[in-house]
Amino acid sequence: MRPRCGTDMGLIVKTSARAIIPLIGIFGAYIVAHGHLTPGGGFQGGATIAGAGILFLVAFGLNEMRKHYNKHLYSALEGLGGLVFLGAAMLGIGTAFFYNTLWHNGPIFNGKPGTLLSAGFLPIMNLAVGLKVFTGLVSALVAIAMYRRWKS
Amino acid sequence: MKKTIAYLSLLFILGVLLYVANPNYGLKFGPGGDDWKNLRYTDNYYITHGVQEVGGTNIVTDIVFDYRGYDTIGEATVLFTAIAGAVALLRPWRGDEE
Repeated sequence: MRPRCGTDMGLIVKTSARAIIPLIGIFGAYIVAHGHLTPGGGFQGGATIAGAGILFLVAFGLNEMRKHYNKHLYSALEGLGGLVFLGAAMLGIGTAFFYNTLWHNGPIFNGKPGTLLSAGFLPIMNLAVGLKVFTGLVSALVAIAMYRRWKS
Repeated sequence: MKKTIAYLSLLFILGVLLYVANPNYGLKFGPGGDDWKNLRYTDNYYITHGVQEVGGTNIVTDIVFDYRGYDTIGEATVLFTAIAGAVALLRPWRGDEE
């Protein structure tokens, strides 16, 4: 029997996805938050969290995804991510665009290199780009699943 | 017969790759030794000054978000444009519903 449009997958897949999705999300959040310390960063962590969302879409089906996916919220969050990224770049506009003024003479994020609250605007930018990539990729996949042209 | 030729050609390609990738007598990509510090001085600059100037111990993040920040803006714009284009192309068009 071929799978019908908008239906979920079997019980084994759904149970496994229920267990795995939080782990993928936590791992992606770790990659984003430690972007300035360990390999990874905003793009990679955002793509990882988006993988959790896509796993939800694949395992639970489009109808379940429609209940949890809010188009306005996601587009607002993507715009917020881009604006925060540009705003963090604008912080050092007194010297140059993309000047890391928070790190050199800022009140916060000026700890020793290697600590979590260091590196100036890098954590802010990582969070912003991670948010942007996550919401963007999930929106793209939901759009592709929702507006598909072929008939099942 | 065909399978034998296929496996033999795969073996040949593997041998060529092993020979080429060997650092002793294979191809050399760029100058070896300390010459690269003069010819590709930006690499060395980022490695030695990155942690002090930008603060992140992940040098790649230092480069991507600080030294090459404009590039990252472009990437984010490309991502946004790709998603906007996908939604604009895939959404139901006028006169599309049966």
